[in-house]
Amino acid sequence: MTAVRRWQIGLIVLGLALFVVGGITLLNDVNPKRYLGIAIWFAGALVIHDGIISFVVFGANIVMRKTGGRLRVPLPAILIVQGALVLAAIMTLIVVPAALKKSIGTANPTLLPLDYGLHLLVFYGVLAVVTAAALAGYALLRRRRSRARVAA
Amino acid sequence: MPSRNPRMAVVIGRLLAIAFLLCFGTGIYSHFLQDPLPWMSFPTRPVGLYQLSQGIHITAGILCFPLLFAKLYIVFPELFQTPPVRSLPHFLERASIALFVASSIVQIVIGLLNTYQWYALFPFPFRQTHYALSFVIIGSLAIHIAVKLDIIAKYWRKSPVASVDSTVSTTPLSEPVETPADLTVASAPGTLTSSHSRNAVIRAEGITGKLFAWIDKTPAADARTSRRGFLTIVTVASAAVVGLSAGQSFKLFDGVNVFGARKQGVGPGGLPVNRTAAAAKIEEVAMDPDWVLTVSNGSESKTFNRTQLLALQQYTVDLPISCVEGWSQMATWKGVRLGDLVDAVGARGGTAVKATSLEQNSSYAIMHMGPEYVRDDLTLVALELNGAPLDLDHGFPARMIAPGRPGVLQTKWLSSLEVLS
Repeated sequence: MTAVRRWQIGLIVLGLALFVVGGITLLNDVNPKRYLGIAIWFAGALVIHDGIISFVVFGANIVMRKTGGRLRVPLPAILIVQGALVLAAIMTLIVVPAALKKSIGTANPTLLPLDYGLHLLVFYGVLAVVTAAALAGYALLRRRRSRARVAA
Repeated sequence: MPSRNPRMAVVIGRLLAIAFLLCFGTGIYSHFLQDPLPWMSFPTRPVGLYQLSQGIHITAGILCFPLLFAKLYIVFPELFQTPPVRSLPHFLERASIALFVASSIVQIVIGLLNTYQWYALFPFPFRQTHYALSFVIIGSLAIHIAVKLDIIAKYWRKSPVASVDSTVSTTPLSEPVETPADLTVASAPGTLTSSHSRNAVIRAEGITGKLFAWIDKTPAADARTSRRGFLTIVTVASAAVVGLSAGQSFKLFDGVNVFGARKQGVGPGGLPVNRTAAAAKIEEVAMDPDWVLTVSNGSESKTFNRTQLLALQQYTVDLPISCVEGWSQMATWKGVRLGDLVDAVGARGGTAVKATSLEQNSSYAIMHMGPEYVRDDLTLVALELNGAPLDLDHGFPARMIAPGRPGVLQTKWLSSLEVLS
């Protein structure tokens, strides 16, 4: 038996053992009436991520590349814009629930004390400015490079 | 395939594994602090140990969002294997990955929602489910590493053992992507092999494969730019989500804390509150002028009202309140040493204490404290916070404060202390 194979067996045994611990913990600590809710959340996570989010990202990627290709935008410029969109999307996913929960009401004023909606808008604004600056910087760099190439 | 390749899966995957293991280790530590096994004893120094461990727990948890999305993006084409199921081992592998992905997403989402205390969104108890799922996730991780061990070993270092990937990377992508025949062969998941065809690329066949190939050559660019761009995006996103929220746990980031669920200095006495007096329904009993703290040791028992407690030797300590929800803040506490109080009822040597709150119907209304905390000079029955009498929301007339423990165990509105034999 090779060393790799031994590691694989060891890891699988460890993984199955942890499944058993997790299963026993679930049986002991969580009322079986709640299992359906957990199962629904599991299925929901797969549907929302694998079925919706990943396709939206994939579709957005295709649209951007298509537009970029038509306008002859170089890849780094596309990546800068895509990076900004990714950043905005992830921050939205994390912060919007905070803003919503705050508007519904919290147990006390020290929980979620900030103005999350406003901060998110400011974040978008700063992100847009930084993205524009990065694009301008890249355009400048590209022009300088092509000039240097011509001069050489 | 610039960013969706095995090397990138390994690079992001191991970062995600580290984040998961950090969350798991700190989570287990937090769990046993709250529900210790009989033989357990915990370190009381450094005093900010729990602030650090739980701060790492939620910060690494937030970091999992960009890392998990990146990892799932890299392996997205794997979703469209044809045929979807080839054999029993293949089915088991796919099922284990589905379980891994689902439990990971649920875990970080409910963890985040817990920091917002938005429990109404999920129809199951947070703490117990979060704890049980942690074993499922780490178990899935172990199995996932086992199944992918060949690929992980091969792409652990920058220049892979097999040259196939570099061949792909250096192929000018402006050329029509006629992937070499051996690369288009669908991998055979479930059978562990070291063959290049299995490990070289992530899926190049089918509609998605063609679409991805098209994406990668539109516009034409070298693979290095794509890879670096991808890594830069992941890095910047990770830095942003962590940097803009970690101020709730670590004062260093307070200045840029614009998205944290808590803010340093916000709350009565300049300190955030988790459970208010109103929520605990103790306002009347806590403000009762006849309130006394009962300290007992077997048949010996003494009572102290607030004036009598204030007349005892007072000590001032700097200790953080560190919540299980991850937020932390340093504060200055003044009060009586717990050790002095248990001595007053004849306790000798190392002794455990059961503290009872005025609060009823809360799982934290009764708190057990091991001798390592009882006999620690920094453990106080606190009467003042930041130079003023305790606010009612911070546990007036008296509360517990000990080094290195989660906030839920810093029992507020104390009613009695019982020395356990």
